[in-house]
Amino acid sequence: MEDQAFRTDLAEIAAQRFRRGEIDRRSLLKLLGALGLVPLIGSDKAFADAKELVLVNWGGEPSKVLQKVMGDTFTAETGVKVTVDGSGPSAGKIRAMVESGAVVWDVCDSGPGSAIIMGNQGVATPIDYSIVDKSKVIDGFTWEYGVANYMYSYVLCCNTQMLKETPKTWADVWNVKDFPGKRTFRKSVRGMLETAAMAMGAKPQEVYDFLKDEKGIKAAIAKFHELREHIIVWSSGSASQDLFLQNEVAIGCIWSTRAQLLRDQMPAGGFSVTFNEGVLSPGAWVVPKNNPAGAELAMKFIAHTQDPKLQVEWLKLIGSGPANPAAAAMVPDELKAWDPSSPEHMATQTVYNDDWYAKNQVKAEELYIDALIN
Amino acid sequence: MQKASFFRIAMRTGAWMVLAFLLLPMLVVVPVSLTDHSYISLPGQGLSLAHYVNYFTNPRWLEATWQSVVIGVAVSALATLLGTAFAVGCWFLSDFWATVARWVLITPLLVPPVVQALGFYRFWVQLGLIDTLGGVILAHTLLALPYVTISVFAALANLDRRIPQAARSLGASVWTTVISVVVPAARPGMLAGALFAFIVSFDEIVAVLFLTVRNVQTLPKMIWQGIQDNIDPTIAAVATVLTLLTASIMVVVSLRRRN
Amino acid sequence: MAARAFADRHRYWLLILPALAAMLIFYVWPLIQIFAISFTEPTTGFGNYVELLSSRAIRTSFVITFRVAALTTVGCLLLGYVVAYAIYNTRARYVGLMLMLVLLPFWLSVLVRSFAWIVLLGRGGVVNDALIGLGLIDRPLALMHNEFGVLIAMVHVMLPYAVLPLMANMKGIDPSYVAAARGLGASELTAFRQVYLPQTLPGIFSAALLVFVISLGFYITPALLGGGRVLMISEYITYQIQEFLKWGLGTALSVALLVATAAVILAAARFVNLRKTLLERG
Repeated sequence: MEDQAFRTDLAEIAAQRFRRGEIDRRSLLKLLGALGLVPLIGSDKAFADAKELVLVNWGGEPSKVLQKVMGDTFTAETGVKVTVDGSGPSAGKIRAMVESGAVVWDVCDSGPGSAIIMGNQGVATPIDYSIVDKSKVIDGFTWEYGVANYMYSYVLCCNTQMLKETPKTWADVWNVKDFPGKRTFRKSVRGMLETAAMAMGAKPQEVYDFLKDEKGIKAAIAKFHELREHIIVWSSGSASQDLFLQNEVAIGCIWSTRAQLLRDQMPAGGFSVTFNEGVLSPGAWVVPKNNPAGAELAMKFIAHTQDPKLQVEWLKLIGSGPANPAAAAMVPDELKAWDPSSPEHMATQTVYNDDWYAKNQVKAEELYIDALIN
Repeated sequence: MQKASFFRIAMRTGAWMVLAFLLLPMLVVVPVSLTDHSYISLPGQGLSLAHYVNYFTNPRWLEATWQSVVIGVAVSALATLLGTAFAVGCWFLSDFWATVARWVLITPLLVPPVVQALGFYRFWVQLGLIDTLGGVILAHTLLALPYVTISVFAALANLDRRIPQAARSLGASVWTTVISVVVPAARPGMLAGALFAFIVSFDEIVAVLFLTVRNVQTLPKMIWQGIQDNIDPTIAAVATVLTLLTASIMVVVSLRRRN
Repeated sequence: MAARAFADRHRYWLLILPALAAMLIFYVWPLIQIFAISFTEPTTGFGNYVELLSSRAIRTSFVITFRVAALTTVGCLLLGYVVAYAIYNTRARYVGLMLMLVLLPFWLSVLVRSFAWIVLLGRGGVVNDALIGLGLIDRPLALMHNEFGVLIAMVHVMLPYAVLPLMANMKGIDPSYVAAARGLGASELTAFRQVYLPQTLPGIFSAALLVFVISLGFYITPALLGGGRVLMISEYITYQIQEFLKWGLGTALSVALLVATAAVILAAARFVNLRKTLLERG
């Protein structure tokens, strides 16, 4: 006798394998047809229109969460298969794809700075704001070639087991006498000079005032030069995580999303994070030029990710703060401590200033590298 | 000669210490690969094969290994064919221009890897070879050619020039002479060259980083990403497998040579 | 006879041509393009070179590159000399094994070896654990994420490149000179210093050239073990291109590195038989 539950299970396995790309659509339908279960997962017609959408982010746990929260829900809604590639959409790789005419990514988890660079170089598609809703993004975080996908902060973290006292401000981080141990900062200048400015007494709201001219920038650079012997840099989110996991550093300025993962990976009570004097920054979706699934589908996916419910779920699993202001009201209390863009955290942080970077990044980047290696 | 002196003993001891330094990193990956923890560490309570299981069952690692093998074999064949023909031609000519040509062929040994990778990248974009197996095979073949030509040329150094001359004067054509007289003499160099070419390709990382995006995943690229992302002991298992493989190839080669 | 020789030469060139053409089209031509890009992107002119010369960070990076390459060379020569000497002169047992141990790392991927050094030198790595376990130190030493770690790993990678030319040189040295000096009453150390060592100078120069030139272009090892503070030019180039798409500056740096490499080789031509060192090494 045929067992309906068993057959459903088989269908489920087949559907999973299809999603993972292990069997093709034709074999899946044949199998489901044989089981008499085609209607269970939608008609042939729905599949005929189905395409694959490839998202790319920076690997590790966030890839799994992106797949689950944004990818699978999009598939459920539209029938479009979504794959997440974690190999890291650096501007260089995107340009490589566009130039070679072999674009395999549809939507990239990038940043506003890279979005601007890629827009200038003609390798990104402008965001279509008739599909993507500007009103569902915090004011100021929409750009021509990118739109904020989530918020994260550069936060002060420490391995409390390696320290007697826990540093609470950037001034403490620069105090190597009372807080000994290696520190980690980002290899790129993004989000870094802000911390030096605060270490020198600038209030979070005044950071870019402090850095507005050469004098301020030079002072912040000099501050890093002073600390250089104690610094190991991280060049990717997972690398920053690893530096803490391997006890290579005691203190660090890393992304809040990675800090949330570390909270669970480090020994209980051995790790502390503060949003005090953090640098709140948006990530951005960028669509490469000539993406395989077409610009429209990519824009539809971006619009899908604007759903505040999904954004709250994303926050819960990975610490990505909602970019949609409507989500703030839906964040449960216990998550508020990890929401980079919650009102409480907004009050103690500085907000990443794109205009400043557009004007100063190139020069600052070079000075920063020089300060660290010289 | 003289009996063992302080000087000799010091040199000999020093040499063994240096060799231990050479060997140490290769030995340390073995216990780490057997760790029972999920992070890089020496084994705690007991030994575990979990990381080998992960390597041999994870489709991404296997796919990358397979692609590396395919690329390596293709590179080895191509480079040996082109390089042998080249070295044989140069050996016959042995004039100024042939020497110039030999210098051209060894440039990849001297040009910094990142610089040549940039060059490949820009040209491969124009040729539509980015992220294709063919693109990687072509780049690696060029990088492997110096090794093949040098070892074939070294093998030909033992060949008496009068032998092919005799063959020619007995009426053999140039091609017949090459195939039946020169190539057999070059064979040890060809074998060594083919092996070198395979290893050069199998280990190459910098060009692969620039020339591939997603479709082509080689083993070194997986290791590179693994070290940059989350260092997990699977890399130690892969490293152990590669070390054992390299060591056994060397043993086989040196035994063959002895026979 | 002359006609046949001419026809033969044609045929020999036909053998040479496929590899040579592949190399010229797919290797040399792309390098020329790199040269061209450095003068044309983002704008035509010498802008990239002006930036290169006026940047302190780039100057520092070049200093680091040359310093690391030089220290690696010194380390490799010292260690490599001892090994080569022991293989040829101390009638050590297991010469075959010694040779094998020199060659094994030569054929093992640089990536795998860098990984092994990460495992060894990390703060919670095997070396630190062992030293703490033995009670020799009470807090971990900073062995990695600095120039020291990079040097250790680079010497490890480059050592075979020093040992092989030294061995090739020592193989050809007639032992009767040293024996004669000893017979005339020189101490073993004096005989080594005044008779043997001078004869190995060509080998030392060859080894130094090979190690130095290849070290200049290193990317993988410093990137993985340097902690970002041992920024050699190759890593600088990659960073400019991958992060900021600054092809102009990246290619200008490449040209500078290439020119520096060529200058080192040409300068070395006075002391080193380039043909033996580069073209005919076995």
